[in-house]
Amino acid sequence: MKKLMEPLLFVNSWRFLMMGAFIHLWVLGDSQISSFILILLLLLMTCLRWRFALPVWFVLVDILICFFYFPYTDIAYYGFALPIFELALKGKCLFSLFLCAGVFFAQASSSFLFWFFFQAFFFGVFSFIFLKNQEMYRVDIDEQRKVRYELERIKIDLLEANQSVSHQAELMERYRIARELHDHLGHDLTGATLALQAYQYVQEPEEAKKILQEVKNRLERSTKSLRETVHNMTPMTRIGVESLESVVRNFQQKDIEFKKSGNMLLVPVHIWSLLESCVKETLTNVAKHSNATKVEVDLQVTESIVRLSIKDNGTAKKLSHTGSGLRSLQMRSRSMGGSLSISHENGFLVVCVIPLDKEMLNR
Amino acid sequence: MTIFKFALKRSFSNTTNIIFLTLFPIACIFLPNGEEWPFLPYGYQYFGLLILFVGIRLATIILEDREKGVVKRLAVAPISHFQYLSQNLLAYSIILILQCIIVVYGGVLLGKELYQPGWLFILYGSFSFASLAIALAWISIYRNKDASFLVYMSLIFIIVVLGGLLIPIEIFPDLLKRVAVIFPTYWLAEGLKWIVFSEEILDFLLINGVLWLYTIVFVIVGSIRKIN
Amino acid sequence: MRVLSTVKFTALRMLRSYIVLLLLLVVPIILLTVFSFILSGAVPESGVPYINETSMTQVLVFQLFGGSIVMSLIYNDLFTENKIRMYALPFNQTMYAFSIMMCGALFSTLLGALLMVYSQFVLGVMWQNWLWMIYIISLMAVLSIIVCLIFTFSVKNFKIAERLSEVYGIGFVVLAGLFFPMPENGFFDFLGSYGNPLTLSMGAIRDMGESNIGDAWFQANILLGAIIILFVVMLILGRRKIG
Repeated sequence: MKKLMEPLLFVNSWRFLMMGAFIHLWVLGDSQISSFILILLLLLMTCLRWRFALPVWFVLVDILICFFYFPYTDIAYYGFALPIFELALKGKCLFSLFLCAGVFFAQASSSFLFWFFFQAFFFGVFSFIFLKNQEMYRVDIDEQRKVRYELERIKIDLLEANQSVSHQAELMERYRIARELHDHLGHDLTGATLALQAYQYVQEPEEAKKILQEVKNRLERSTKSLRETVHNMTPMTRIGVESLESVVRNFQQKDIEFKKSGNMLLVPVHIWSLLESCVKETLTNVAKHSNATKVEVDLQVTESIVRLSIKDNGTAKKLSHTGSGLRSLQMRSRSMGGSLSISHENGFLVVCVIPLDKEMLNR
Repeated sequence: MTIFKFALKRSFSNTTNIIFLTLFPIACIFLPNGEEWPFLPYGYQYFGLLILFVGIRLATIILEDREKGVVKRLAVAPISHFQYLSQNLLAYSIILILQCIIVVYGGVLLGKELYQPGWLFILYGSFSFASLAIALAWISIYRNKDASFLVYMSLIFIIVVLGGLLIPIEIFPDLLKRVAVIFPTYWLAEGLKWIVFSEEILDFLLINGVLWLYTIVFVIVGSIRKIN
Repeated sequence: MRVLSTVKFTALRMLRSYIVLLLLLVVPIILLTVFSFILSGAVPESGVPYINETSMTQVLVFQLFGGSIVMSLIYNDLFTENKIRMYALPFNQTMYAFSIMMCGALFSTLLGALLMVYSQFVLGVMWQNWLWMIYIISLMAVLSIIVCLIFTFSVKNFKIAERLSEVYGIGFVVLAGLFFPMPENGFFDFLGSYGNPLTLSMGAIRDMGESNIGDAWFQANILLGAIIILFVVMLILGRRKIG
């Protein structure tokens, strides 16, 4: 954004312009050396105000300087414009008005002086309000920015929590499978192995037959319980690449070609959920905004990355900005260390690349 | 006082500076007397011009620091901007004061008619500080050393002419006579006139006071810290 | 004549050197204006206003400094920054140096002419003989350029050469007695009259104004002679440095 000039610059310019006005008055007026020193003193005060933030009571010095010069020169009356301005600038409008009226009635001759004081007062009040507003806006913007940063922080935390929960769930599931296998298959298989070992040492055919029967029973039972376990544990909902495929299958407005390559099992759950929402979001966008007839969805999984690209053959270029859906996806992919890029050239193209964390897989 | 020491050393490190700082003031002593004007020998009238030049030559050392990024390094050093500035200015003012001593008391030794050398020295001293302060304020606008020096040079010629140091102020038209008071050079010229005709001591104090006011104003303006 | 194609750019570079324009055009204009304020109405017995003399001096004085831009251009192009590039170009480097000199002389003369135009039409100074004035200005410009180049070629440190060129300018102004009267002896008398380009040119213009054509040409020819001699010196020094 192009930066405009600071309002404080105008305040300082006004102060120095006043100095120019005094010098003008001096050259046209009495041109006495002593009153030139008054101007120099006022210039000194102005320079101090320009360089340092002086407290309000410092206007007393200006007032005193001008007051002492009252008997000598008219410029001293005009000099009161400075304290009037400074008081108004600091928000002490009443004092400023009081001073204005006091000096004006003390001198009570020149109507020009009235306008001179009036513009000083007016510009002082204007600058006061302007600076105050600027300060308020600044505080407001700071607060909003703080809130926005906090929100973003929370978002990232949530995404990380999501990832860790899916990892925990996977571990729990592994543990459950291990327990199931141990409880239902383990005993029977161990028994069958022991029975077979015993069978080698048995001499009596009757006894051997019995043992063999026992082994057979146990194996049959374990086969059955394996089937049952597998059946029990196979989820009813679709997960992984299947869910992606089903999303694509259920999307019937356009002609969609789905290609996949690589070992799909390398991809952890939380990435699948991202990919799924990515496909859904993009296809919705295509259906809503694009005039495309054909969409290509390409999923490639390698040892180290997952790459999902969705491309249509549309020509519409209406959406120049990224919608909130894609933006949130962009952020989610970034939080996984990957990236999501969008291009509008030669149709709409979304490419999402997520690195596969090997350590996460092996944990 | 390390900065002070090095500011002194640096001021004398370059040939042009040595000429500016030593040969020119000595040359000033030997310039002839004027006929009607100026009242002091020419060298003493023009020494004000030389002080202005020396002021900017010394002050550009600070600008050089800014150009080379020394100021940026100083900003992280355990030294305040005030210390940096005050020690530099102290070194420069000592050099200027030395020059004034050489010019005034060299002239006395050579038997020049200087009327009141003590007051003359004080006047030159006050003007030296004013010149240094103006140069300091001037360089705070610039980033480039050469540009600041060249533009200041042209400015000096104009204020020297308008201030009545090069041409007697009596021949100015009325308006220019009033405008001249704005320039510090006017006060130097007035001071030189006072030295010759020596009226009231109060006038001389006033002249020095104005020069000191100029010094304070411009030091305040020039003390702004610019890192880039 | 491939060098000719560079002339346009040399001219552009000169016109865009703001500091030179400030020093050689804006400052003299301000000074002339100030002087015309100060001297307004002051007319001596001879009938020619003081301001005429002052503006003539000013125009000539600033010609003394006209060589600085040529000096810096040649130094940049043939000795330091652009040296390798210039030597890689298929043209004669000596001719290029001459083209810069010619441009600089034209530029300097143009600035002088602008000052004259300003003083005539704004300040009301009457110049008696424009052609003669411009001839003298161009002689001064060429002389200043040659002197500056001699400094550039003969001094190793460019900073010192720059300072020397300033000394050349200010020195001759001082020797001409414009700041204060010089002591009266043979040496200073010579440098304050026939040994000083500034007084020579001022004399030439003054004599032309008073219709002493013989004297005017005599002084201008001294300048021309000095230019020729110094040009030979410059060639000898330049050959050693460039060739």
